[in-house]
Amino acid sequence: MGTSRNLERRTILRAAGASAAALGLTAVTGCGSGSGSGDGTVTIRYSWWGAEERAKKINQTIALFEKKYPKIKVKTDFQTYASFWEKFQTQAAGGNPPDVFQNAVGFLRKYDKRGILLDLNSQAKAGNLSLDHFRDGVTKVGEVDGKQLGIPVGSNTMALVIDKKVFQKAGVEPHAGWTWEDYFKALKTIHDKTKVPGDTGYFTIMYLYDLYLRQNGKAFFTKDGLGFDQADLTEWWTDGYNRVKAGIVTDPKIVEQDKPKSSLSAGHGASEFTWDNFTVRYTAEGSSTYGLAPIPTTDGKQTGQYLASLMLSASAHTSHPKEVAQFIDFMVHDPQVGTIMGYDRGILASTEQYEAFKPTDPVNKEIAQYEADTAKAGVLGTITPHPSGADTIEAAFLRIGGDLGQGKTKVSDAVKQFFTESDAAFQA
Amino acid sequence: MTLVKDSLPASRKTRSAASATTGRRPGRRRENLAGYLFMSPWIAGFLLLTAGPMVASLYFAFTDYNLFNAPKWVGLDNFTKMFHDPRWQKSVEVTAKYVIIGTPLKLLLALGVALLLSQSRRGQAFYRAAFYAPSLIGASVSVGFVWRSLFSDGAIVDRTQSFFGWHVGGWVGNADWVLYCLVALTVWQFGAPMVIFLAGLKQVPRELYEAAEMDGAGPLRKFWSITLPMISPVLFFNVLLETIHSFQIFGSAYVVSNTYCGPADATLVYTCYLYQQGFKNAQMGLASAMAWMLLLAVALVTAVLFWSQKKWVHYEEDAR
Repeated sequence: MGTSRNLERRTILRAAGASAAALGLTAVTGCGSGSGSGDGTVTIRYSWWGAEERAKKINQTIALFEKKYPKIKVKTDFQTYASFWEKFQTQAAGGNPPDVFQNAVGFLRKYDKRGILLDLNSQAKAGNLSLDHFRDGVTKVGEVDGKQLGIPVGSNTMALVIDKKVFQKAGVEPHAGWTWEDYFKALKTIHDKTKVPGDTGYFTIMYLYDLYLRQNGKAFFTKDGLGFDQADLTEWWTDGYNRVKAGIVTDPKIVEQDKPKSSLSAGHGASEFTWDNFTVRYTAEGSSTYGLAPIPTTDGKQTGQYLASLMLSASAHTSHPKEVAQFIDFMVHDPQVGTIMGYDRGILASTEQYEAFKPTDPVNKEIAQYEADTAKAGVLGTITPHPSGADTIEAAFLRIGGDLGQGKTKVSDAVKQFFTESDAAFQA
Repeated sequence: MTLVKDSLPASRKTRSAASATTGRRPGRRRENLAGYLFMSPWIAGFLLLTAGPMVASLYFAFTDYNLFNAPKWVGLDNFTKMFHDPRWQKSVEVTAKYVIIGTPLKLLLALGVALLLSQSRRGQAFYRAAFYAPSLIGASVSVGFVWRSLFSDGAIVDRTQSFFGWHVGGWVGNADWVLYCLVALTVWQFGAPMVIFLAGLKQVPRELYEAAEMDGAGPLRKFWSITLPMISPVLFFNVLLETIHSFQIFGSAYVVSNTYCGPADATLVYTCYLYQQGFKNAQMGLASAMAWMLLLAVALVTAVLFWSQKKWVHYEEDAR
C-alpha cells in the first residue's frame, strides 16, 4: 500500500485544505435591482417583516396598486423580524437594499448615518407623496433631524396584553392608573389561584423598561447613549430575577421552548407587555381570549407611553424614487388598503384609512378602544430618540436578561456585560 | 561557423532522444491544455469564490470594518478584542465541548454499527441504507426544526424521560442540556463514517482471523489485535474528517436555538458567534479575525493528529 498511503494522505490533505478554505466566510449579496424595461414598466422591490397572515393582506393591497398603476410592478420579499434585518444589513452594505421597506424607529438613525434612507421630503415637495391627512403628530415618528425618513402605516403603543380567561378565573381586574405594586400583587394572586405564572418576562423588554424609566424622569436612550446607570438596571433586574424564582414570572427555559410562539399564546403566562397591535397575532396563535390592559404606573398617573409606528421607508439608492413615492403614498392613504390591512400594523396612520376601516371583530375593536382611551387619558408623551445601535442593544437586553432568568449569570455580571455590549454597539 | 553547424543536428538529436523516452510532446501539451480547459470553471470558481474572499477576509481581519464605511487599518486590535471578550471565550468553550464529546461518540457508534453490518445476514442492504439515510438529510434545516420539536418541553423526549422520573422540562430551553441535543443530532448522523468503516472492514484479510482462531483467539482479542490495527488508516481518516467537520457546526445550533444560539449562550458555537458579530453587529473585521483564528485552530488540531498517527496508525507494508 506504498502508493495508496501517499494517495490517501494527499486526498486527506486536500480535503482538509478545502474544508479549511470554506471557513473564510464571505458575504455574497443578492444581485439584481429593480429596473426599467423598454415599455416604460418599472419594477420596484418591497420588503417587510411579518408572518403569513400579513403576507396575504399585503399581496391583496399590491394587486390593487398594480391595477391602478399598470406601469409599476412590485416584487415582494418577507422574513421574520430578526432575519429581515440581517438580510437587510447585507443588502444595504452591498448597495442593493430593497426600494421600499418596512421600518421602525430603532433603525432610523442607524441607517440614516450610513446613507441608506431617502429623505422623502423631496418627493413630497415634488407632489408624488402626501404628508397631510395623518392622525395627530404621528408623522413625527419618521422624522430625524428634519428629514422625513419613514412614512407611518400604523401607530401603536406599548400595552399589557392579558389572557382574559386566566385573569377572570383569578378574579383580577386591571384598572387604569394601577401601580407596579398592584400589578405584582395581581401576578401573585394569578399564580396562587391558577398555577399559571402571571407575566412572561417583563424585565427583559427594552420598551417596557423605557416606560418605567420615563415614569421616573429618565429614559432608556438619550440622543447618543443610555439614559440610565448601572444602579438603575441592577435594581430592575434583581427584582425581575426574584420574581422568576418566586414563580410569578414564567421560567425563561419555558419561554425559550415556546419560541417562535409567545409564552402568552402558549398558555405559559397570563400577561405580556408588548405593542397593542400584537393582540391580533396572539389571537391567531393561541386558544384563549386576549385583551388589553393599562401599563402600571409609579405615581398612579403617568404611564410613560408614547405613540410608535411601523413605517415605510425608501432606499436612497433606488433608481425609481418617483414610483417608490407613489407606492408609499398609495399604501398609506388608499382607503381600500386600509380596510384590507386593518390594525395588523397598528392603528391606521392616515385619516383616509383610519376612517375607512371600522373594526367589527372584537380584537380590532379592543385595539381601537385601547388607543382611544390612552389618548384620552392624556398620558402619551413624545418618543425618546433611538441612537444608532439601538437594535443591537435591544437584542442584548433581551438576551442577557434571559441568561439572568436562567440563573446562568449573577445580576452584577449581567449589568456589567450589558453596559459593555452597549458601548460597543454605539461605536459600531 | 562549423562549430555552430555541427552543434545544431546534435541538439536535435538529443531533443528527439528525450521525446522518445517521454512520449510525444505536442500531444501531451494538447492533453494538458484540454485538462486545464475542463478545470477552468472550477479554477475560476476557486479564485472568485474561495481564494479571493479569503485574501479579502485576511485583510479585513486587521481592519475595523462595519460593511458600510471603508475598512480602517487597526493592526491586531481585533485579535486583542477577541481574546478579552467573555462571549468569545464562551464560544470557544462550547465548541470544544461539542467537538470533544460529539466526535468520539459519533465514531464509536459508526464503528459499532459497521462491525454489526459487516457480517453478512439477511436484509443487510436495507439496514445499511437505513443507517446511512440520516447523513443524507442531516445537514438540512428541516432536521434542525424536527430536532427542536423532539427535544422541546412536553415533546417526546421530555415525556419519555419524565416517565422514568427524570424531569428536566425539555432540552431546548435548558442551558445545561441544550448542547447535548446538538451532540445527539451529530451522533445520529453517523452514516458517512460508518460507510467508510465498512469499506475498511472489508479490506481486512480473512486469513488473519482464521490464523488467529487457530491460535485460540476470542472475538475481543481478534478485534484488538487484528481489526483495529488493520483499519487504523480508515479510523485516522474518519477522526480527521469528523473533527474538522465538528469545528464547523453552525446550522443545527442556529436552528435549534431559534437563530440566536442561546439560551444563556449555551449553544453559542464559534461560527454562530462569528456570524452574529459579522452580520448582526456589523463587525465584519472582527468576524474575519475570528474566521482566521478558527482556521488556525483547525490547522493546529489537524497537525497534531497527523503527528500522532505515527504512534497508532498502521499501514500494511507490502499490500497491493
